[in-house]
Amino acid sequence: MEKVINDYISRELVPDPALLPLANDTLLLDSGILDSLGLLRIVVFLEERFGITMGDADLLPENFATVNAISAYLRTREPGKEAAHG
Amino acid sequence: MAYLLQRLLTDAAARQPQRAAVASDGCLLTYQELDRQSNKVARALLRLGVAPGDRVGILAPKSCAAVIGLYGALKAGACYVPLDPKAPAGRLGHIVRDCGATAIVADDARRSQAADLATAAPLPLRVVVVGVPGRPEGEETAGVPAQDADVVPWTAVAGESGQPLAEERTIETDLAYILYTSGSTGTPKGVMISHRNSLTFVDWAAATAGLSEKDRVCSPAPLTFDLSVFDIFATCHACACLTVLPDGAATFPVSIVRFMAAERISVWYSVPSVLTLLACYGSLQQFDLPDLRVVIFAGEVFPPKHLTRLMAELPRPRYLNWYGPTETNVCTTFEVPAGWADVQPTPIGKACANTEVFAVTGEGRRVSRPGEQGELYVRGPSVMRGYWGQPAKTAEALVSNPFRAASDEFVYRTGDLVTLEPSGDFVFLGRRDSMAKIRGYRVELGEVEATLYRHPAVQDAAVLPVPDELLGSRLRAVVTADGRDLTREDVLEHCRQWLPGYMVPDIVEFRKAMPRTSTGKVDRTRLAQEQNELEPARDAGPDKG
Repeated sequence: MEKVINDYISRELVPDPALLPLANDTLLLDSGILDSLGLLRIVVFLEERFGITMGDADLLPENFATVNAISAYLRTREPGKEAAHG
Repeated sequence: MAYLLQRLLTDAAARQPQRAAVASDGCLLTYQELDRQSNKVARALLRLGVAPGDRVGILAPKSCAAVIGLYGALKAGACYVPLDPKAPAGRLGHIVRDCGATAIVADDARRSQAADLATAAPLPLRVVVVGVPGRPEGEETAGVPAQDADVVPWTAVAGESGQPLAEERTIETDLAYILYTSGSTGTPKGVMISHRNSLTFVDWAAATAGLSEKDRVCSPAPLTFDLSVFDIFATCHACACLTVLPDGAATFPVSIVRFMAAERISVWYSVPSVLTLLACYGSLQQFDLPDLRVVIFAGEVFPPKHLTRLMAELPRPRYLNWYGPTETNVCTTFEVPAGWADVQPTPIGKACANTEVFAVTGEGRRVSRPGEQGELYVRGPSVMRGYWGQPAKTAEALVSNPFRAASDEFVYRTGDLVTLEPSGDFVFLGRRDSMAKIRGYRVELGEVEATLYRHPAVQDAAVLPVPDELLGSRLRAVVTADGRDLTREDVLEHCRQWLPGYMVPDIVEFRKAMPRTSTGKVDRTRLAQEQNELEPARDAGPDKG
């Protein structure tokens, strides 16, 4: 899962090749990789790739801080764990 | 007394010296401090030989330093040219050369970037650093050689006198700023706005939004975007407080709403796509936002269902739809009635005070009956002076008033197609040419295509907008290569070297051959139809259950 997300961000959102390769614990906000447009794009990607629907309770800085954080968040959204979604 | 933007500040400092003028990232400037600090920057610029009419770049995000810098430039008699620190170096270099800037005012963090830009420009270009008053210079100082004679450090600027300058160096028809927007031939073009042009909007906007000294005004629009004229100057007009949304908070809808609540924002101005995000993902039901009294949106069409949802979640504020290209600033306005639940597009409304708008049909008649369609024209004191250094482009955009043959007046042809409602309001229908809006930013598809053609392996390129409820449009590039291996990553990396992020295509599609019309032109209609069949317009946000 980390690889899928890392690949997507590396390919689509990293504005400067100097930031590659992207580590899974790189802070996506502080490094300027994730802006509001990038957030929308990754939301659409995650919804399509993982078959989930994200609501406003999901779009929080802590869920998108790093590749690892996105993966951890997605694991709470895996089938059968939908109750975790407020 | 001349009608000048910098007078707004000197007047505010005289009326309300101790009121907060700018709050940004922990920095709070009173009107008196802003006035004094900008006097210092003006003196530093004059010492470098900046003369009336000179162009001064501002390389800083919206912040205390940027506002000090741009008022300093105006007080020195210069016109300011906002430079987006996140834009590629090639694009910034082009803008600096194109406008022939004589100086760049940069904040401390952008000091090396400004020095690099100055070194690369074939111009005698000096850099003036603006720090935050009361704070020492940042770590950037260490990276710049002390003997760098082209950089005036903040310590030197801060040593200048903060007393008012003895004389005004400008009159109201002089340029106040140049805003660079996307240009169809491949390079950005500079829209020249005079003090009078700008103040026509500023005076009207402050009155229409009912701004007072109690207001806390916020707009996420960067300085390069003309929405920023409202929060910088109309706020000052009212002695209100310009409150800057920090970069980190702008990414997440919930963070924006938390910021609005914590900072008690009373007036908000943004493109609709930001408000769509707040409506869909902002957890608005958890926040009351009791201070928010006016919400203004401009720059693109607000999808009606998201506007309805926003107004249902936040019923208290007034909602204003403002319309106007950078060339005229806002020229029409529509106040959305409470309880608005229309499925039709929100009208762009009627002309602002001191401005006139009219639509001209394909046959050259003035649109006068409801349901008629035509291209919108704007006349009045807010219409720009022209495009910097581009008389041919200026002549295409500023034309003789078709209904006042005897007058020597020029009116602005917007390129926007509109229709007239029975109420007398105009409704925006679309563009006459190939311009798209991405989150309110104008994107000339020709500029993106010209950039693609610069890649040595690209043979043919066409760029089309794909409608998107959240983003306004996404960009789809259709490319043919000349036999060499060309990947999507190659194309995107090439685009990122030349174009700001919002102009980089989202979708890259390779073809063996480009579909063409019988006259040999790229068949855009066919490309657009294929896209529609491939992927219907994407919807935004989950429905509230």
